[in-house]
Amino acid sequence: MRPLARWALVAVAAVALVTFPYWSAQWESTRFATTLLRDALILAIFALSLDLLVGRAGMPSLGHAAFFGAGGYAAGIASQRLGTDQLPVTLGAAAVVAALLALVIGVLVVRSEGIFFLMLTLALAQIVFAIAFQWTAVTGGSNGLSGVGRPMLATLDFSSPDLMYVLVSITFVAAALLVWGLARSPYGRALIGVRENERRMRALGYDTTRLRLSAFVVAGTIAGIAGALSAYSTRFVSAQDAGLGNSVRAFVTVLVGGAGTLAGPIAGSALVSFIERVVPSLLPVELRISEAILGLVFIAFVLFARQGMVGVGRSAWLRVRTR
Amino acid sequence: MSLELVFQQALNGLSFGALLFILASGLSLVFGMMDVVNLAHGAFYMLGAYVALSVVQVTGSFWIAMLAAPLALALVGLVVEPLLLRRLRGRHLDQVLLTIGVSLVIVDLIGQLWGREVRSLSAPPGLDGSVGLIGGVYPVYRLFVIAFGVVLAAAMAVVYRRTRIGMLIRAGVEDAEMLGALGIDTNRLFASTFATGAALAGLAGVIAAPVFGVQPGMDTDPGLLYSLVVVVVGGLGTLSGAVAGSLLIGPADTFGKVLFQDVALAVIFAIVALVLLLKPTGLLGRIRIAR
Repeated sequence: MRPLARWALVAVAAVALVTFPYWSAQWESTRFATTLLRDALILAIFALSLDLLVGRAGMPSLGHAAFFGAGGYAAGIASQRLGTDQLPVTLGAAAVVAALLALVIGVLVVRSEGIFFLMLTLALAQIVFAIAFQWTAVTGGSNGLSGVGRPMLATLDFSSPDLMYVLVSITFVAAALLVWGLARSPYGRALIGVRENERRMRALGYDTTRLRLSAFVVAGTIAGIAGALSAYSTRFVSAQDAGLGNSVRAFVTVLVGGAGTLAGPIAGSALVSFIERVVPSLLPVELRISEAILGLVFIAFVLFARQGMVGVGRSAWLRVRTR
Repeated sequence: MSLELVFQQALNGLSFGALLFILASGLSLVFGMMDVVNLAHGAFYMLGAYVALSVVQVTGSFWIAMLAAPLALALVGLVVEPLLLRRLRGRHLDQVLLTIGVSLVIVDLIGQLWGREVRSLSAPPGLDGSVGLIGGVYPVYRLFVIAFGVVLAAAMAVVYRRTRIGMLIRAGVEDAEMLGALGIDTNRLFASTFATGAALAGLAGVIAAPVFGVQPGMDTDPGLLYSLVVVVVGGLGTLSGAVAGSLLIGPADTFGKVLFQDVALAVIFAIVALVLLLKPTGLLGRIRIAR
């Protein structure tokens, strides 16, 4: 496809995505679909950011929810303490706090690798969770932080379901473009180099520690923005948002979709959202096993299709084409 | 703090440490042999507690539960290792990821089968009372837990140092591949190691139940988190590391909760982060975690 045609296609798809609540307004289940899609897109932003680490730079973080949670808390607390609902302030606070937290944790973890990196990120994220869970005066502790302010841009209020969706989907498109651009840039190539052979990259003169740290901060910042969007959507932040369960969820999303690709985390979030939100309504009410189903799906992918849905699709496509 | 209170808290810390040892020893054993951090260890621990709950309901005996739960978990281990982990031999990170999936499945099925309410299991008759100790009364069950932890650690030390199985374990921790080359059936060795690790988690589930209760979320806290903390601080893969980690973290956590209250959890994980950064092998460990 010619580059121009490709861009036109992307633009059409983006516009169609952002305007979804409007063209689906006649559907019977438009309200449910809009909420489902909104939450899936928030998960997709979160997963895209984690994939910068897991897929591109080869850093398997099991503590990414710390930044998601920090972003949510920062947005909520900023709106309450500063008495403003303006998006540039609250979303800015989310990004800055998540970035700073990622910098602090990043400095501690980027020198380690593999399982060791996984355990260290888990432990440090657990400190963040513990603070969120126990520092009741600031975070609301185990009750969570309720009464998060509305997202406002000047006088435009995004808190209606449709506009909230528009805000989330625009952010998603921006995040996807950013990740796409990063992956194609010399910086993104260098990250892949770090994943494939760090020693060689060092010999080539790259400061690999700095590369890994910067990836960690960028990923943490985007996760913080996803966390803020989640806080606006539900007007609530739970300590669990920063907990191990949420880190695991993001990790599962990335792996099931396909690590190291742009489409992977997005496809993964579609599948995970489907299992979490749609599958329970297909099962008898007394059967609440969506987590177990998610676990089984995850196990199947780790065992048989480590490249995720995108990898499976790609090899199927190649097989068809070469026939 | 009065002297009596300090003494009481010290005992609490010791009994917590003993529980932590029972909990963490299985995780440490599996890691030492297979280089796999079993993230389903907390789910195994939780399953042990719920199996015990049912066994006590049916038989009325805590002691039967103490046998049945580890046996049930050993069976689970004997299914999980050959069926799932073995397919990814040599790919340690993928094996760790696999255990995340196993954990999701087990925890959700427990919720489905046993319900998602907070349950409790009382200490067996004879151990459910209190005794007078310096300046106050103290629950007998906690003293039993301390004794049990000490006996288990001693028994494991004897097995490690004096038996053929212990010799295989020590050799496996050093270099499992070489062990295979020497003609040992590593498939069998790994399966039985994993089953033993799971059984120890199940045992911890039973013994901890009267103290910590039986409820959703116990797989992560205390299950997985505290066992990780202990083995990381003490040193992964060695018995002495698990002992040292439990003896340090048990009292540290207990006194932390008394002294710092709100930030106690953060204190424990700060210790972990510090140890990981300064001495990645843990206080007594020799092995650095593989890539």
